[in-house]
Amino acid sequence: MTVSTPRFLARVALAVMLTFALGPVAVRSQQGGTAREEPGATERQEPGSPAREGPSSAAPAVTPQPPAGGGWDFPDEREEVPGWSQLLGAQAVDLGAFTAFAALALVSFFRKSTRLKIVTLAVSIVYMGFLKSQLISVTNIFALLGMNLPVFRYSLAWYLFAGFTVVSTVLWGRLYCGRICAYGALTQLVDTVVPARLRVSPPRWLEERAAYVKYGLLAATVLYFLATSDISIYRYVEPFWMFTGQGSTVMWIGLGILLLVTIFVRNVYCRFLCPVGAFLGLLSNLTVFRIKRWSECNTCKICEKACEWGAIKGPKILVSECVRCDDCERLYLDKQKCPHWLILYRKSDLMARRSAVPAKSIAP
Amino acid sequence: MIIVGQGPIDGRLQAQLKKVFPSATSFSGKQGDPPHFNAFQQDPKTGQPSLAGFAFWTTELDPLERGYDGPIKMLIGMDTKGVLTGILVVEHHEPYGSFSVEPPEFAAQFKGKSIRDPFRVGEDVDAVSRASITITSATRSIKNSARRVARQLLTPPASK
Repeated sequence: MTVSTPRFLARVALAVMLTFALGPVAVRSQQGGTAREEPGATERQEPGSPAREGPSSAAPAVTPQPPAGGGWDFPDEREEVPGWSQLLGAQAVDLGAFTAFAALALVSFFRKSTRLKIVTLAVSIVYMGFLKSQLISVTNIFALLGMNLPVFRYSLAWYLFAGFTVVSTVLWGRLYCGRICAYGALTQLVDTVVPARLRVSPPRWLEERAAYVKYGLLAATVLYFLATSDISIYRYVEPFWMFTGQGSTVMWIGLGILLLVTIFVRNVYCRFLCPVGAFLGLLSNLTVFRIKRWSECNTCKICEKACEWGAIKGPKILVSECVRCDDCERLYLDKQKCPHWLILYRKSDLMARRSAVPAKSIAP
Repeated sequence: MIIVGQGPIDGRLQAQLKKVFPSATSFSGKQGDPPHFNAFQQDPKTGQPSLAGFAFWTTELDPLERGYDGPIKMLIGMDTKGVLTGILVVEHHEPYGSFSVEPPEFAAQFKGKSIRDPFRVGEDVDAVSRASITITSATRSIKNSARRVARQLLTPPASK
């Protein structure tokens, strides 16, 4: 946490500066292009047409408004541009709640605690899922591509959440997938209660190839969006809408099938299908603090077998598949199981015995 | 229906205007600055149409406003006293069903609201905790665009 804080603050500061720097430019460009829109131009661009209103086509003639114009004198006129203290005040609960949740997730991560991790997953399902429905979605990638992100000053909690996701991915990898995402939390909790005999483990060759499906799905979804400007495709490539309880019959049937498969093949959506996971997987190639490997890992297979995400291949950790679940790192710490420690002990034991032998022989 | 002013109105737009301003008998084409449609009512005495209010697009009056994913295009009707007569959400890119302004209750609650109202989500506008970005953005753009039209086209009623 201590590592992330300065970087995170720097990022927030950068975002604030960008907002201020770009804001006036956008206004000017709109005012500059005052060429009066032809009457009827907007009608042609009505709902059916997918064309989004860019700054050039929207808003003919934005004229500077008289400050308290027309003698209307609205009682709350001063609030038209609320100050930062007001903005922060209105969003304090959301900001505080997410900060507390992120802190819990990071504490469970740094302490490698199974219990705290389960608490984190439960909080994620309840708060991030059912209460806020705040999940990173492909629509966020669309918004990023179309520069259609929410207004910064009014959406601080969302930017904190999105910023945390990006920064934590760059620092540690797909921590978001392993702890923050409410759907991932749900399937991981399901995984802890499903009896082991029900599970089907896909063979290694299939698992490796299936992991690429999500990149294909990400590419296809983004291409579809770029071609049609239609975001509704998100309904069919991600199940995150389930937390709002609003979906068509087709969507619920699809979700039912997905959850049924998840009982047999653990985390099937996260590992093989999720476009957001694919996006974060690409980003995680930058991971700064990677999982440590010992020289013994070249030959040992314990972690590779224990990894539920198929993220360990021989001596290598596949960062784009790893969600920092801690399973292998808990094994590293276990001095009864990890060969690194066993070998160290045997060596020191041997040394001790060797040094003990001459002493005995000298004795009369 | 009589169509006065510049700018053609096609059937769909006509229906949309009628929805946000049910008491109007005719509408002008889009005109003026800020861009708006005039809504007319038949005067029962003279039989002549008289100005009853305006209709306008939020995306044209408050273009910098952004929801969760881009602008939320709404058509607003407002009478000459500054009371909203109806709101129609025409186009938005907000995902997740209830995460959005899609449920009709959202638009319905603005009917009959005065532009003097505070338009605060959680107070006089219903909050949906999951949709905070979307709802607050849509509410701001309704308030700001309606007030902008009022400032420039309406004289406030004498009794404040």
